[in-house]
Amino acid sequence: MTSSLLTMMLLCPVVALVATLLLPGRHHKAIKIVNALCGFASVVLAIVVWMQYDRSAGGYQMLEDYPWVPTLGIHYTVAVDGAGVVLSMLTALVFFTGVLSMWSLEKRVKEYFAFMAALVIGVFGVFISLDLVSFFFFYEVAVLPMYPLIAIWGSTRKEYSAMKLTIYLMAGSALLFPGLIALYTHGGIGNWNIVQLAASGNFEREFQIFIYPFLYIGFGILAGMFPFHSWSPTGHVAAPTAVSMLHAGVLMKLGAFGIFRVAMTILPEGAAYWAPSFALFATIGIVYGAFVAMRQNDFKYVIGFSSVSHMGIVLLGLNIWAAGGDAAQAGLDGAIFQMFAHGIMTALFFSSVGFIYDQTHDRDIRHFGGLVSQVPLAGSFFIMAAMCGMGVPGFASFWAELLVFIAAIKTFPVLGVFAIAGLVFTAAYVLRVFGKAMFGPRNPDWEKLVDIRVKSVAIWPRAILVGVLLLFGFYPSLILDMIRTAVAGGQ
Amino acid sequence: MNHQLIALLTVMAPLVAFATVLIGFRSKHTVASSIVLISGLVTLVGAALLLFNGPVDGTVFSARWFVIGDHVIEFGVLLDGRTRMMGAVVALITFCIQIYSLSYMSHDPGRGRFFAFLALFEWSMLLFVFASNLLQMFIFWELVGLASFLLIGFWYEKPSAVAAAKKAFIMTRIGDIGLFIGLILLFQTVGTLDVVRITQIFAGEGLPESIAPGRIELIATLLFIGVIGKSAQFPLHTWLPDAMEGPTPVSALLHSATMVAAGVFLVVRFHELFLDAPGTMRFVLIIATTTALLSSTMAMVARDMKRVLAFSSISQLGFMLMGLAAGSLFAGFFHLTTHAFFKALLFLCAGSYIHKFGTNDMVAMGRAGAAGKMKITTIGLVVGGAALAGIPPLAGFFSKEQIIGSLHGPENLIFRIGAYAAAFLTAYYTFRMVFLILRPGIDSEAIEEEPAGSQHADAHDEDHGPAEPWQIVGPIIALTLGTLGAGFLGNRIGHTLLIEHIHHPALAEMAPAIVIALLGVVLAWLDFGRKGARQVGFIARLPAARTLFENRWFIDTVYKAVFVRLAVGFAKLMFGAETRGFDGGADKLGQGTVAAGSQMAKAHSGRLQFYVGTAFVLVAVLVFYLGLS
Repeated sequence: MTSSLLTMMLLCPVVALVATLLLPGRHHKAIKIVNALCGFASVVLAIVVWMQYDRSAGGYQMLEDYPWVPTLGIHYTVAVDGAGVVLSMLTALVFFTGVLSMWSLEKRVKEYFAFMAALVIGVFGVFISLDLVSFFFFYEVAVLPMYPLIAIWGSTRKEYSAMKLTIYLMAGSALLFPGLIALYTHGGIGNWNIVQLAASGNFEREFQIFIYPFLYIGFGILAGMFPFHSWSPTGHVAAPTAVSMLHAGVLMKLGAFGIFRVAMTILPEGAAYWAPSFALFATIGIVYGAFVAMRQNDFKYVIGFSSVSHMGIVLLGLNIWAAGGDAAQAGLDGAIFQMFAHGIMTALFFSSVGFIYDQTHDRDIRHFGGLVSQVPLAGSFFIMAAMCGMGVPGFASFWAELLVFIAAIKTFPVLGVFAIAGLVFTAAYVLRVFGKAMFGPRNPDWEKLVDIRVKSVAIWPRAILVGVLLLFGFYPSLILDMIRTAVAGGQ
Repeated sequence: MNHQLIALLTVMAPLVAFATVLIGFRSKHTVASSIVLISGLVTLVGAALLLFNGPVDGTVFSARWFVIGDHVIEFGVLLDGRTRMMGAVVALITFCIQIYSLSYMSHDPGRGRFFAFLALFEWSMLLFVFASNLLQMFIFWELVGLASFLLIGFWYEKPSAVAAAKKAFIMTRIGDIGLFIGLILLFQTVGTLDVVRITQIFAGEGLPESIAPGRIELIATLLFIGVIGKSAQFPLHTWLPDAMEGPTPVSALLHSATMVAAGVFLVVRFHELFLDAPGTMRFVLIIATTTALLSSTMAMVARDMKRVLAFSSISQLGFMLMGLAAGSLFAGFFHLTTHAFFKALLFLCAGSYIHKFGTNDMVAMGRAGAAGKMKITTIGLVVGGAALAGIPPLAGFFSKEQIIGSLHGPENLIFRIGAYAAAFLTAYYTFRMVFLILRPGIDSEAIEEEPAGSQHADAHDEDHGPAEPWQIVGPIIALTLGTLGAGFLGNRIGHTLLIEHIHHPALAEMAPAIVIALLGVVLAWLDFGRKGARQVGFIARLPAARTLFENRWFIDTVYKAVFVRLAVGFAKLMFGAETRGFDGGADKLGQGTVAAGSQMAKAHSGRLQFYVGTAFVLVAVLVFYLGLS
């Protein structure tokens, strides 16, 4: 089936980028509106893609294939499977709500939205690419704008954080690059197509076992893999609100998606060989992230480490899939679902914290108290995101975690018990933030805080994100059916 | 109306109320409370209809929710004796408490939210009770916990309430880990999520062929860990006494028909499974007896009325589990039902006094003339207290008798003795409470707590209308009647549970329990009731024991000193590992690279002599090396 839907979706941020560059910088409002419209268009297209995707057929659909550099066998090949559909939806939602969250931005508006659009181009590109080179190309396009976005619009040691983030991610890319080239040369089919490489059968076991860690760790760094995670909380903290949203919401998912789409799909035997070890690291990440979050006093650091913990669940699920066995399917379902749920949830987290930070320029939880009575709506949004993080039923994360844990108990029982025990520590750090900042006596310093007004733009992004969390919390099969087709066709 | 519709209305009315109020009427208090009350009434009527003429045999009404792989996940209402009975109790108690809250919370600025959370609480508990599959059970088990968290921490500006809510959530969540793993293993073992199917699998004599005994013991133990957390059994009981930081109606609900009852109901629900795990049942018996005894001793020295009641809840939950663990489904379930009545009653009485006098301290209440000023409340207190103490012919007597009766045989001797001892202590501390309020001795040695620990935000005296408005008196009277009558419903309950033979103990069998309960009351009379009593209790003569009991056996202290410190210490360690290890190390690596770079840069100094000199040395080394090889 040919259709140009995916390219159109990819063009949304491209249009946003071009329009932003063409518009004179002083027209703030116009730039914001154009970006919001493009964001909205991408949401609509993502919904159309979702509807158009034929679940009964499964596999990769809406394929578009054009030669790009024929001499090297490089193509522009895009297609989506169920996972791609779900994650494109995530990206579109976070893009749109991210633009709305930055509605009050005044500083270098034009440049900001331009970089952000560039980042989104990259993210969309990764989720739909089937060609290793274009995959890697988009991957880098997504990663690089982070540097200026943090260094210019950030806060709290922003140059340091931007530098750290970039160096970590470059180190990841440095691991990836030889890995990808090895796949090309060893694959021996003269092109970079992921599906064809996976089907080629030219990768013998020793090669897979040797190359797989390059790809896993290379992508894993972006996914916040323990012990290479420390760029991520620092980056979260320094980044401005919408960038944190994109960064934790979708960028970290690129890493996990890369592991799934490239490393595990092309090198299944290597993945199975390494699965127990990497599952161990993932579990350590889950517990470790929760414990470190317990000691943090900065809202964003708490969320940053909670991301490390939650991404550990994604990686654990993926490794369960790679290990094979009865529970493999549940592991993958859970992992992809968690990518989506965590993306929406952290976007909501950062969006709520950003709202408070914009007014106070303070993020130390010890400096707050009784926020729910001072800013009831903003506080409630934060609390809902946190409940989702705790895995409370009714929110999307519950299902994701449930699936991963069920699978973990079957495939890696010991790790599973530790991962589940992590729930207690998650509750501990979340409730600590609640107790210090959200509840308790009101802090008189912040009596003048203004809450989100019901009829303002500020309520939309938060309301949309909460709505999505609840929708998939109450009706998880919407997303599970979609993910499941991915694997039925992908295997 | 057919059963399906009634069942649907019963379980969904509170949800509708919750959502409507929370979204639309949080600050329109009258509308909010009316909506919730209507939903409570609908649920009550529905639950009563189901109880009196519902299906007996485990009918399931369900709707497909979604499918994962081969497993159809349904959202269902299972109607059998256990669920119909429990559902009716939940609905009745909740409705009483909702009416009571009309007056009790009438001055609270957040009462719209309060009523919404009450509805959420009821909804979660009902769907937990009626759950037709394991997943639904787990979801609503968690939501019951969430609702308790929200209600315990309702006065969120009070740090102690926030701390109590946090403690409740985390302690029960520790148990939930066990439950969660247990449910996963159970599902993997039996291959179905369907509660009715699971009950059938374990219903027959002995274990099904395909299931190893060790596996069932493991599953039962894990499930029971969840019960330990939820039903506040030793060693996870410490959250419940603190949970009284919530408004008193919440305590009444939490201690009787919801939250803590959920744990016991889980054992009721899977009683067949538990019976197939005799080792675990022994373990349950040990834990339950220990809990009953421990918490009774704590109740003997507490001065805060709600705290006494909280300890008594823990101890009575222990009794229920003893009955269930001894193999008698009826005994445990009967006590769960009667306890719901008299414990809710006692808490509502406590709330009534607290509301009036602005203190939780029983000595202060008594001296303020509680007994004379609030007659109906005091009658409720005496009836509820007598029921708790196990005085015939009140509700608690019959059910406790059944439990002690189920602990027969030589192997249970030690537990029977434990049960008698706990029953004695229960009678003693209950009547200590009653006499302190009823017969305050102005010149006794009892000390009022300084400052009087009030938890009601504003203590209003006479000027706020009658001390006992109908919203407060009505539920108290209703529950008093229930407490008077519930004990005689044993046959009916047994019939509802489809139990053929209920052992009706003869008078000779009942005698020891009656004597023991009366002895407890007499001792309480001597210590607290009679004229000129010192009102400090015999425990004052045992200072070591008193210190031990007052500090709740130092269990909380130990937890703080050991587990909390361990967790915090570990977090500190991880934090150190992060800042100095992973993060700091990476920073050092970066700094090292920069330093190496600047050292290298010094080589590029631009001084020709240096370049020439270096080149000369290098050439010399090269020549020397080549010459050697």
